[in-house]
Amino acid sequence: MRVFKGAQIIAGTAVLALGLAACGGGDEATDPAASGEGAAAAPVVVEIGEPQHELVPGNTAETNGAEVLNALFIGLVNYDADKKPINQIAESITSDDQTNWTIKLKDGYKFHDGTPVDAQSFVDSWNYTANGANAYEANYFMGSITGYDEMNPVDPDGEGPQEAPAATATSLTGLKVVDPLTFTVQLKNPFSGFPTMLGYTAFYPMPKAAFGPDGKVTAAYGESPIGNGPFKMAKPWKRGVETKISLVRNDDYAEAKAKVEAVDFAIYTDLNTAYRDLQAGNIDIMDQLPPEVIASAKAELGDRYIEQPSSGIGYLGFPTKVGADYAKSPELRKAISMAIDRKTITTQVFSGTRVPADDFISPVVAGYRQGACGEACTYDPVKAKELWDANGGAQAGTIELGYNADGAHKEWIEAVANNLRTNLGATVEPKPVEKFATILDDLGADKWKGLFRMAWIMDYPSPENYLKPIFAANAGSNYSGFNNKDFEELLKKADSAPTVEEGIASYQAADDILLKELPYIPVYFYQTNAAFSSNVKNVKIDPFERIDIVNVERA
Amino acid sequence: MGRYVVRRLLQAIPVLLGTTFLIFTLVYWLPGDPIQALAGDRAVDPVFRATMREMFHLDEPLVVQYGYYIQGILTGDFGTTFRGLPVSTIFEGKFQITLNLAMTALVIEAIVGIGLGLIAALRRGKAADTAILAFTLLLVSIPTLVSGFVLQLVLGLQLKTSTGIDFFPVAGTSEGWRSYLLPGIVLAGTSIAYLTRLTRTSLMETLRADYVRTAVAKGMPRRRVLGRHALRNSLIPLVTYLGADLGTLMSGAVITETIFNLNGIGRQLVDSVYLSENSVVVGIVTVLVLIFIAANLIVDLLYAVLDPRIRYE
Repeated sequence: MRVFKGAQIIAGTAVLALGLAACGGGDEATDPAASGEGAAAAPVVVEIGEPQHELVPGNTAETNGAEVLNALFIGLVNYDADKKPINQIAESITSDDQTNWTIKLKDGYKFHDGTPVDAQSFVDSWNYTANGANAYEANYFMGSITGYDEMNPVDPDGEGPQEAPAATATSLTGLKVVDPLTFTVQLKNPFSGFPTMLGYTAFYPMPKAAFGPDGKVTAAYGESPIGNGPFKMAKPWKRGVETKISLVRNDDYAEAKAKVEAVDFAIYTDLNTAYRDLQAGNIDIMDQLPPEVIASAKAELGDRYIEQPSSGIGYLGFPTKVGADYAKSPELRKAISMAIDRKTITTQVFSGTRVPADDFISPVVAGYRQGACGEACTYDPVKAKELWDANGGAQAGTIELGYNADGAHKEWIEAVANNLRTNLGATVEPKPVEKFATILDDLGADKWKGLFRMAWIMDYPSPENYLKPIFAANAGSNYSGFNNKDFEELLKKADSAPTVEEGIASYQAADDILLKELPYIPVYFYQTNAAFSSNVKNVKIDPFERIDIVNVERA
Repeated sequence: MGRYVVRRLLQAIPVLLGTTFLIFTLVYWLPGDPIQALAGDRAVDPVFRATMREMFHLDEPLVVQYGYYIQGILTGDFGTTFRGLPVSTIFEGKFQITLNLAMTALVIEAIVGIGLGLIAALRRGKAADTAILAFTLLLVSIPTLVSGFVLQLVLGLQLKTSTGIDFFPVAGTSEGWRSYLLPGIVLAGTSIAYLTRLTRTSLMETLRADYVRTAVAKGMPRRRVLGRHALRNSLIPLVTYLGADLGTLMSGAVITETIFNLNGIGRQLVDSVYLSENSVVVGIVTVLVLIFIAANLIVDLLYAVLDPRIRYE
């Protein structure tokens, strides 16, 4: 969601500017003289967008702030190349029933202020985030822990006259410190994928120093967070005023120290501008490139250009219960899906920054099956038309395609509209809405009848995260109205499976139901398109789109 | 004169109240739930929504919300963004940047615009005049977007990579005043064209005036005729234009700020309108209105300096 209005207006002319860049040619080599002086101490500069909040784990639920926190903090687990959780601070994370978890910590980890990373520091941090009164963005991550509901009382009549009852607790009853290096977590429901959640920003610990005498996280901590990671703050960051966040290496780090002495996170509002600065040698790493420069970046940067799957999925959704005729019929939904030429859209409209989607589970998590969607996601205009006509598509009326005009969606929605017109012979009406919240409001009030665009970015690398929050009957983000007994049963079975692997098989079975019913049509998977300058090497990016900053080296 | 200034300042109060309420109402009526907009594509948690709505009085009717806002201002509290950033912090950091940018643009505009206009008027009908007129036409027809990107690419990037001259930074404010030069030129572009043409017309008119002919006939040196008699009398429309332009430059810098990654109010305003952040939008607009009022007042006072026949009572 880092693209904003201005960026799109600019996007058009950037193509022109790029043409000029191509004419210039041969100037891609960064001038060594420019960065030569004091190169040893010069920080590695990483481009980010503006973090939305102060730098506190519990209040960071977006990629920019998470990128910085990732350098300042480490969590209980990290992820290996197969996206499976591996213990980092955790010695072990065990459970007999997938509900009651015991987490043991390794000894020797310290916060930047020298205090030990103990069980209490995790419990304090999670309790604070779970407290509804603090209005932290990552609050919902704690929703699966026992005691969350008492801290977050729901207003009985929504926005009606009744007041929400007062919270009856200020800490999670499901969290118990056993000894300095052990704590237990009780979940509301069994969840075999619980360990996969624990590497996320929201689950980082916070030291005693974070809390003021009133028990609140202090403003000073938000400006200069004390973490436990490979880097620490060089100086406080004044949000909204300063456009650079400066970090220096933590020489007291328990694991292998970072390879560079300092990192600066430079805040950019426009990716094209940032890319210019990368070319000029003022930025070293960008974890996201503007679509317009992808083609030239590939040619210019060579192996300094990175392309890999990211966790996002773009869908077209149907209000399956209250929508138009074509939205209610699984066959017509399938016909629409088959009439969409995903390949052309991803290569032409998105310049290869997306790839055609073929599953509800993203390729970045264990459990993704290539081609799982099969026929339904394969472009076949002839079959699509047959299926459409055979199921009364001709009488289904105008197909509406809703999208928010403030994001870069017009082009691909128009492309889909043309596909549907040509291949199904239907009348199609793209329906731009000023912002996405309007569509969500209408869906909530059962007023939206046609298709709507939708996207999902994972919170933690478990297939569960692509199924339950979007398609479970009572889930907050279930906008399709999808409600399927077998699906619910399979989710339950997967959640209480004794191992992550056994859980995955059941999640995949649940996924198969979605692929048959198609409450949403998976259209494309997002890609990470990153680049780095010739000043650095060994740049790797994880499925959370975070840079593996510890291992970045000066070239 | 003192009484005139006081009267003008008092007149500004209803203008301010009117604009703040108008803007507040407009932002209030923007469609979509602002708290949902915070969460993007994800459904916002109902508890989070309820807490935020209460915290920012979003569950109250419009008039009550406005009342809270005015009450806050009177006690020196300009409110915070939905993401907890005090609006006063935005004023402190971002206004300075936009003001620097607008002032740089204004200075460039004044020097280049009046200079070119002067040359054109004095070389009327000659090649230089035609060239300047053609140049202004070019300036007006190039959108900021194009000039911004091209100048950034050519002077910011390619000049450095091909010759090693690192004078214009690509983006950001790390290089002090030099950082504002390129964006200042880009922002001033269109205004330069208008000002050049205005100067040319205005000066040509004055040059034909009787008192200029008299001065020339008296045998006054050409320099003095131009400077003291012709140019000074042509300045009134130019000063009017420059005064009004300061506000326009400040409020219209969104694209320039974005291209050159200047963390000014333009981008903040766009973001806040998107999120329906009333206190921020109204706060920024109020300060812009104040700048407009102040600039207009200064312009009006300058009239008296430029033309002694004008007096304020």
